[in-house]
Amino acid sequence: MSNALSRDQVRTMMAEVLSAQGKELPADDSASLETIGFRSLDFSELALRVEDEIDEELNFDAPGLRSIETVGDVLDFLEQLQSA
Amino acid sequence: MTLPVGAGNRIITAGYDGTWAGLADTPALPPAAAVLVRDNTEAVRAVWQAATTDRETLIAAATRVGDEQAQEFRESGLTVVRGDEVQPPLAERDAEAGRVWLLTSGSTGRPKQVAHTLESLTTVAGDQPRRTWLCPYATGAYAWWQVVTLSLSLPGQDVLFVEPGELDRWPQMAVDAGVTAASGTPTFWRQALFRSGETLAQLQLEQITLGGEPVDQAVLDTLREVFPQARISWIYASSEAGAAIAVHDGKAGFPAAWLDRETPGRPRLTVEDGELVIASSKAAEGMDAAIRTGDRAEVVGDRVMITGRIASDEINVGGSKASASKVRGVLLDHPDVQWAAVRGRKAPLVGQVVMAEVVLADGSQTTDADLTAWCAERLPDYSVPRRLRVLPEIPIKETLKSDV
Repeated sequence: MSNALSRDQVRTMMAEVLSAQGKELPADDSASLETIGFRSLDFSELALRVEDEIDEELNFDAPGLRSIETVGDVLDFLEQLQSA
Repeated sequence: MTLPVGAGNRIITAGYDGTWAGLADTPALPPAAAVLVRDNTEAVRAVWQAATTDRETLIAAATRVGDEQAQEFRESGLTVVRGDEVQPPLAERDAEAGRVWLLTSGSTGRPKQVAHTLESLTTVAGDQPRRTWLCPYATGAYAWWQVVTLSLSLPGQDVLFVEPGELDRWPQMAVDAGVTAASGTPTFWRQALFRSGETLAQLQLEQITLGGEPVDQAVLDTLREVFPQARISWIYASSEAGAAIAVHDGKAGFPAAWLDRETPGRPRLTVEDGELVIASSKAAEGMDAAIRTGDRAEVVGDRVMITGRIASDEINVGGSKASASKVRGVLLDHPDVQWAAVRGRKAPLVGQVVMAEVVLADGSQTTDADLTAWCAERLPDYSVPRRLRVLPEIPIKETLKSDV
């Protein structure tokens, strides 16, 4: 996928999603989503931001469900989706 | 045959400027015809024949009717006329004299066909002041017929018809034609105020009518500011239920006292499970005695507010139900928001999220983040738009309704 976003770019977007709610994204990728208050609705928003940026719909069916518990998991997952 | 009372009224289209009676020279249409028109000139010619001879007529913009539907018209016994092209009916039958077919706006799929007569489409009676009306509606739509039958049935009611491609410049056309009364959707008015406010203010409007969509207080107030002398009316009408509610007090919604009231000659209005239900003598034929409108109605204090379509209003965000019309209302309450559209967008994990498109006042410095914060203060978390797009101008469809 030629328009794919880098991990850093997605991280910046994730920080934006949180900052709109007055929350901060910690530098540590192992930070738990529950602790920082990043919920499924926030994840959805982030996914849509990525879709808008790459101008393509992400296929959530392909990779199957996996456990997403940390900041790093979110970044890994979106990276994986973009290359699917 | 007696000519319609309005035969001497002037009508102006892109290709005709004269009286209704002046259209008498037009070549005769088949006795039962679906006339798929390219413009209002062709449409008014068909109208005149429907009004002066015992015909059966369907008039629709050619762009609204696909080949398959045209084929169905022919199978139902109508000749399909597109300009010079005439396709005969595929079933033989006599014309149903006086029948006027309308296509519904089709907001829930392909346009459906409903049965009227010129009489059932005529909802304004009595003495009316002399006026020149603007008709910007889609050719053949219920609201279009309202202006047409008004002009046919009452003296002194001239009409300027506007083609879809002329919508950007209608205020200047209206100034040139001396328009004094104009009927349009709230989207149409918002767009005109936004885009052509100065030209619009030159119009000597005595009557402003809004219909076809829920109307909010902000657009009514802005119109009142620009046209302090005009009577501002909101009409609730549909192809199926006819013209059922007319409000002239400049306030959004209609008085709650009108609910469940029995007044001879007036439709009976009720709210059932949050839906507006209408029983009307002006309804299309074959309709149930009480028509479920599909519009959400909510009693707020002493008013009943129509807030949007029930089917498209609900956005399911991870099991929580956000109301598109409520979110839209909150956005429109923001002082810098001129227009807003809200819908659900497919999203992972939660199914749908709320997304909004807005048009801001000229020179506004309001940001996405400001609007998100504004919504977050007033709405539950799941209803706050997660994607917000600021558009440079109000998008408008052929029906003059925004896609909300």
